[in-house]
Amino acid sequence: MIELQGLTKTYAGKNVVDDVSLTLDTGEFGVLIGPSGCGKSTTLKMINRLVPLSGGRIILNGDDVTELPAEQLRRRIGYAIQSTGLFPHWSVAQNIATVPQLLKWPKSRIDDRVDELMAMFHLDPTEFRHKYPHQLSGGQAQRVGVARALAADPEVLLMDEPFGAVDPLTREVLQAEMRRVHRQTGKTIVFVTHDMDEALQLATRIALLNGGKLVQYDRPIELMVKPDNDFVREFIGQADLGLKLLSRRWVHQYQREPSFEHHATLKGLDHCWQLDDAGRPIALEGARLDDDHQVTEVKPEWTATPEMSMKEALSRMVWYRVMVLPVVDDAGKLIAEIGMQGIMGIEAESGLSAGNPAS
Amino acid sequence: MTLARSADSRLVGNRVLLTLLIAAVASSVLLPFASLSPNRLSSGQPMMLWQALPEWQLTALALIGLALLAATLARPLPRRTSLWLSLIATLSLLGLDFFALGEYAHRALVDASPAARVSQGATFWILLFVSALIAIDALQRLRLGLVKRALFGAAVLAVIGACFSGDLLSPLSIMREFANQKANFVDQLIRHLMLVAGALIPALAIGLPLGLLVNRRDGLRNGLFSMLNVFQTLPSIAVFGLLIAPLSALGRAVPWLGDLGVSGIGVAPAIIALVLYSLLPIVRNTYSGLAGVSAGTLEAARGMGMTPRQILWQVEIPLALPVILSGLRIVTVQAIGLVVVAALIGAGGFGAFIFQGLGQYAIDLVLLGAIPTIVLAVIADFALQILVTLSRPPGTR
Repeated sequence: MIELQGLTKTYAGKNVVDDVSLTLDTGEFGVLIGPSGCGKSTTLKMINRLVPLSGGRIILNGDDVTELPAEQLRRRIGYAIQSTGLFPHWSVAQNIATVPQLLKWPKSRIDDRVDELMAMFHLDPTEFRHKYPHQLSGGQAQRVGVARALAADPEVLLMDEPFGAVDPLTREVLQAEMRRVHRQTGKTIVFVTHDMDEALQLATRIALLNGGKLVQYDRPIELMVKPDNDFVREFIGQADLGLKLLSRRWVHQYQREPSFEHHATLKGLDHCWQLDDAGRPIALEGARLDDDHQVTEVKPEWTATPEMSMKEALSRMVWYRVMVLPVVDDAGKLIAEIGMQGIMGIEAESGLSAGNPAS
Repeated sequence: MTLARSADSRLVGNRVLLTLLIAAVASSVLLPFASLSPNRLSSGQPMMLWQALPEWQLTALALIGLALLAATLARPLPRRTSLWLSLIATLSLLGLDFFALGEYAHRALVDASPAARVSQGATFWILLFVSALIAIDALQRLRLGLVKRALFGAAVLAVIGACFSGDLLSPLSIMREFANQKANFVDQLIRHLMLVAGALIPALAIGLPLGLLVNRRDGLRNGLFSMLNVFQTLPSIAVFGLLIAPLSALGRAVPWLGDLGVSGIGVAPAIIALVLYSLLPIVRNTYSGLAGVSAGTLEAARGMGMTPRQILWQVEIPLALPVILSGLRIVTVQAIGLVVVAALIGAGGFGAFIFQGLGQYAIDLVLLGAIPTIVLAVIADFALQILVTLSRPPGTR
């Protein structure tokens, strides 16, 4: 648990962070967001004391951070940054082992931990252990950076715009991985970004800052449907608010039993799935915009998984011009379906009551 | 389409090589290869290439020339084949250059008086430099790895070593000077190296911490760099001259310093001047090497809980090392050259031969000082270049 109490940072007489108080519970994914110069990065860097505090207190799991020796404190806190900050003269394995080395872990324990982390980030140890940072792609380097930050199993992970410099495609993959890693490790994470979509993807708590002041601190959906003021409303953006909401909804909340026979009378259910022997969907009869009874071959590009966001599911429906998507499990078996009407129907009723799936 | 056509119709693929080849041919036709003189001091009678060399050597030379000509052309040879061909041709040219000179000297002196001398002429030197330049150009274009480059360097050394090992070159005037000065030569070599080391060790001991200091304290930077710049611009002879009076006074005033050898002339002023000249490149490269470590790397190092000392030794110094060593390379080569001038104030070294030779109008004695100095500088440069490469992070070499 991290508590910020009246946190203040003054540069040349100006408060760049002004009396910020908030509490992030253990296991939460907190995102600090705001326009540039709002003090989000400075706030983050005060937690591991890369920036000294001007006023207020930070309590990390009961310890006032200013009362610990700085180096000791930082070894308890993982730190990942935009430029990755990987040491160019050390191999991937050495980079990941940085903090365990500083903590003087025995060699066998370090090796095991490095392998474990590389597996967690889908980096094949035999291929990547001995590579050097400049031999990695941007996405791989960022994975190594996060793996390094997690190496000594820190109490908290601080991330300063870690995906700001990678291309949009890689960023989405990394965000999905970050969600998975958060789920797997249950780490408390403080994450700085200026990208609201990224915040909505990842956060369980969002702190919106402006001019050094905390404007609103809430769960993502509350921030969208109950903004405290116009600044919040503007910062989130109203144009695609519906899509933003869908980015916080998950397929498993909306899926329904798959239809195996045509219901000409029920709107949106006049279609049926054809399965192979293993229970995998092979074709869809009907449910096309152009011709209701055309048979469409099922392609992996337009299947959904229960963990997929509704925004992505909707996007696939629109792009592939189908009214329903098959929802498949890891083995590719059809377990449910998700329909265009369903999105609208349930969305209209659910309002605020739909829970927060990531928490 | 036009681009492809113009590339196709291009006749010459390597203009550098062509220029060097033309220079070599022109000098072979216009300038003497060797000279024969009745004694050590009188000027000799020039011998052109075709007068000095037997037929088979001229044929070999022509073949090497043709091979190099083929290597300059864009077609029919592929680019890398041309470059390898020019490397091999240049190695043969080097060997032939030395061999022909030595062999000519043997033949020319058979029935001459014992005082007669054979010296190398302009064409000998031009062929030597042209082969060096062709080799450097080809090595750069081929982008060979460290090992292959070192192997080629070893091959060159082997060819030169083979020429010097027997008594092939011993009748040459410069080698006779060497034979006369043999014991002295080794002394001066050691003295030369001691002077270089004596200057570089204190320069590093002062320069490295100063570089670190200006990296940490921005305020000191401009002042220190402009002061070191002033030292760098002073002519070396002037510095030696300036140091004479204060140092001799110091040597007299403090007897134990005088006993140690501190005096107006000799080793003490030489080393002081060399240290002053070496400081700027060392401080500047240490500073810029440290400044070149990316801010992100340093922030990550701090953020992960490294102490300032750990950051310095485990991150900053290893990352700055290639730049620091490049600075060392500059000052080493510079010091090897400057020590020659220090011979003027009695510090010794190869400069002693040069000034002695100048005094006696014995040009071969001058060369006995000059050539080893050049060889030393080239070897030091090459060795430090390898060190710079090795100090880079693996994989970026």
